[in-house]
Amino acid sequence: MKNLKLLSLVAILAIASMVLAACPAPAAEPAAPQVVTQIVEVVKEVEKTVEVVVESTVEVVKEVTTEDYSTPHPVLSDLKVRQALAYCLDRSALIASVYPYVEDGAVLEMDSFLPKTHWAYKGPYADMPMYDPEKGNALLDEAGWTLAEGATVRQNADGEVLAVKFTTTTAQFRQTWSAVAQQNLAACGIQMLTNYTPASWWFGDTTGLTRRDFELGAFAWVGQADPSGRTLYACDQVPVPSNNWEGQNYMGWCNEAASAAIVKANNTLIRDERIAAYDTVQKEFAKDVVSIPVFQRAEAEAWSANLEGVRSDATEYATANLQEWKLLDGGDTIVIGMTQEPDSMWSLVSSMAAQRLVVIPAKGHIASQYSYDFQPVLQDGLSTIESGLATNDTVEVKAGDTVYSVNGEPVALEAGVKVFDVDGNEVEFTGSEAIKMPQLKVTYKMQDYTWSDGTAGSVADMELGFNIDCDKESGAVEFITCDAIADKAFATDAKEVTVTYVPGYQAPTYYLYPFSLYPSHQVLADGRNLAEVPASEWATLPEIAETPLSFGPYVITEWVKGQSITMAKNEFYAGDVATPNVIFVFVADTNQAVAQLLNGDVDYLDDSTLGAGAEVQTVIDAAKSTGNVKYEISASSTWEHIDINLFTK
Amino acid sequence: MTNYLIRRIIQMIFVIFLAALFTYYLFTVSPGGPLAGIQQQQRRITREDMARLRAQYEMDFYWPYRFSRWLIGLPNGPITIGGKEIFSNVAVGCYLARDEQTVEQNGQLVKIPKGCDQYVYLADIPELHPAIKSSKGILRGDFGLSTVVRPGRPVFGEMMTRLPATLELMLLSTFLSFLFGIPIGIYSAIKQYSRFDYTFTTVSFIGSAMPTFFFGLMLILVFSVLPNLLQDSLPWLPKLPPGSRVAVRPYEVASWLPRVTPGTGLDRFLHILMPLGVLTFFSMATWSRFVRSSMLEVMRQDYVRTARAKGLVEKTVVIKHALRNALIPFVTIAVLTIPGFFSGAIITETVFAWPGMGRLYFDALNRSDWPIALAFIFVTALLTVVATLLGDILYTVVDPRIKYT
Repeated sequence: MKNLKLLSLVAILAIASMVLAACPAPAAEPAAPQVVTQIVEVVKEVEKTVEVVVESTVEVVKEVTTEDYSTPHPVLSDLKVRQALAYCLDRSALIASVYPYVEDGAVLEMDSFLPKTHWAYKGPYADMPMYDPEKGNALLDEAGWTLAEGATVRQNADGEVLAVKFTTTTAQFRQTWSAVAQQNLAACGIQMLTNYTPASWWFGDTTGLTRRDFELGAFAWVGQADPSGRTLYACDQVPVPSNNWEGQNYMGWCNEAASAAIVKANNTLIRDERIAAYDTVQKEFAKDVVSIPVFQRAEAEAWSANLEGVRSDATEYATANLQEWKLLDGGDTIVIGMTQEPDSMWSLVSSMAAQRLVVIPAKGHIASQYSYDFQPVLQDGLSTIESGLATNDTVEVKAGDTVYSVNGEPVALEAGVKVFDVDGNEVEFTGSEAIKMPQLKVTYKMQDYTWSDGTAGSVADMELGFNIDCDKESGAVEFITCDAIADKAFATDAKEVTVTYVPGYQAPTYYLYPFSLYPSHQVLADGRNLAEVPASEWATLPEIAETPLSFGPYVITEWVKGQSITMAKNEFYAGDVATPNVIFVFVADTNQAVAQLLNGDVDYLDDSTLGAGAEVQTVIDAAKSTGNVKYEISASSTWEHIDINLFTK
Repeated sequence: MTNYLIRRIIQMIFVIFLAALFTYYLFTVSPGGPLAGIQQQQRRITREDMARLRAQYEMDFYWPYRFSRWLIGLPNGPITIGGKEIFSNVAVGCYLARDEQTVEQNGQLVKIPKGCDQYVYLADIPELHPAIKSSKGILRGDFGLSTVVRPGRPVFGEMMTRLPATLELMLLSTFLSFLFGIPIGIYSAIKQYSRFDYTFTTVSFIGSAMPTFFFGLMLILVFSVLPNLLQDSLPWLPKLPPGSRVAVRPYEVASWLPRVTPGTGLDRFLHILMPLGVLTFFSMATWSRFVRSSMLEVMRQDYVRTARAKGLVEKTVVIKHALRNALIPFVTIAVLTIPGFFSGAIITETVFAWPGMGRLYFDALNRSDWPIALAFIFVTALLTVVATLLGDILYTVVDPRIKYT
């Protein structure tokens, strides 16, 4: 009983301390004078308190001379050291360590932030140091880091050793190649201190990478059909405390020429101009060596020799042409294995690859993105200026007008606001003088389509798409496009909408229909019409999240949780469908997935399921020994790199 | 006994509450969460976007309030007494959080600490967290909505889709492990140091020591992958389906057998064989060791010697006098398998693509779907304390010497 009382007391104390820690008071208490770490918060209601706080901050402010990550890193801010790091990395050895089955590792090597097959890549970029340890050693000597006789690590004149902390996730894949990198750097006299952290910390929304808590940091970016890159390389995208850590320029790289070029590349509609701007950024990127592109990931997919029609592509999901797949033995059911199960069939709230693999054929596709570019599918042609469906007129804007600022957000024009004028120059509004700006007006058209319940598609579907996708309660992550719309006009007699964007909005992919199509006619099981349901409820609707109507080649007929999703041919689909039934089965484990492929239980494993680990070798061996399976190994759009933090806390 | 039960039930409530509280707290303080990785795509996410997303996961509440909402569905708005709202302006969370900032003020740099620019007050809850998206509380039977694994869909429904598969696997494996494990344990004890005893002791050690994922992969290799690779030369060699609960299209097991139709009894039987084998082997090894040691202890007791001295036949001595007493600790511990009927076998289910609760939990943990993970832990904790109580009660039933006061 005594123990029980003691236990209870301890428990109560623990709970009380946790609760107290979790519930800070809404208003700050007056702070006592302290040094450096002084907390200052203005209390508006209590004048007297404010005075006390201000008095106490005088001492403190003297101590705060710079904000976090504005002090150049003592070692990594030196270009020679960064170049040496890149020279000392043997990318081919790194690739061989993780992809032993890739015969020509050179195709995966990168010297830029874009893959060599991307339309915006104009390399090679010779300034990006490639493996040459002699050059690396020479640069380190020049930088004052010398290797004493018999020593293994370089030191500077002050006797400090050349050691850099390398942070990445605990993923075996990264541990493997970083172990080789560690040996490479050690050979140049650089001590690489590895710090393998849980992905939950490294990619946490308030920890690790997003707080720039690293010196060398390895992770991957997923390449896109549109190279984008503004949030990664512009000067105003460096996350620091004063901007609430917004931005993805984790290196802290601010090269004026590169920054202006990346902003321009994302603010012009003419591809040639974009290519030139990206070329500038890539050249500066190579010169400054603020991030070392290591390699494109390899990705492997495998399928039964009985299956044909698979079209592998780096930027488009394999099932984008599922309607063309067929079984050579005349079978009527294709089985696709996946290690991940989709979360929801509502694409607005999901970004899973597994979800896209299912939903593209099972709901329909407005545009595809093969070969790092876009192609219309249901959209009636891309709405480019050249096609006559878009205009980019010059308008005069004055104070109070909503415009798109250089920061990439719609704002009311007032003195001090910076915008790009019609010539692409950055100008600051004086408060009185009108500015000429480009204004984009685009008409998006859809081809005729029929929903899987037999109802013809209508412009109301487009309108519902806009209403839901732009509703802040929908659960979407961001609303950049929605916020940039100044006006929209839906046609009454055609499936088309004309969208007028706010002056200055020059999205490079303006020609793609930016919203979803939803069946506005659909009556739900509870009797309500879909169009009447608030956006906040949509994620909870089985008719949206589990068995949506389709305008694509297939429609979902059954979803057995944890097991499979069954799709049947959409009888109202206008095109041809080679195989009437497709079943996605969820197998959780890659070994299991491969076993099922070899056993003939599944016909196809996509790259997100097969991955690029040891299981690929099993598939290769089976393909060679039995001929029952085929495989494709290609360069992924995802690329590994080492970011170099130019600043320290 | 009544007093004992009342005392135990009060203790159980206390234990479950503490388990729920600390689990919830651990989830709260652990790094990551449902928004981890959101910056892994190239896109611009503003502070307001983050605030909205955090609110979707109820991360705008201070965790004790979030815990309370998860447990009992409160607070869900200002308290209304006699038509008058009270405590409307009590802050229960922070909607627009502010990280530590360094800003220029009066020409000098000042550090502004972490804080909140927009609090969540009780009055804000109905608008920020409408009832349709809020749980009534797990104690009121509402497990809430999944956030990541099946966003917006009820956790309870999701669990119910997985429970049958887990029950099927776990009940069968427990039954089979008892069926084989108990007799083996008894026989090993009776024939201590015999060849049989040594053999099964070795097998038991292997069963206990070998990780289930390794054993599972071995079975897949031996009974599925290898026979498949040998199909051209040995078409008569049967091959088992490597995983899943049922097939989705007809398949062949061996050239001399008819094709198996999906969903039939034979199909289900072939699919459950390997996961069942792994779990049964593992549990059987444990139970046989337990029964063996229990029997050995009993066989040395005076009353067994007395029974033999009376001239009873060995069979009667073993079954009537030794076994019944040896099973007393066994029965009380066997009930502790009850939570496993709900929670499943995480690794085995994952290796064999068995669509059960264990896999759901694994998925929920991996993807930070706290409502599913917490519901799983809560129900498992509940079943564990109930099973413990049941074990203690059973002890009095099977052993008349034990009395609780």
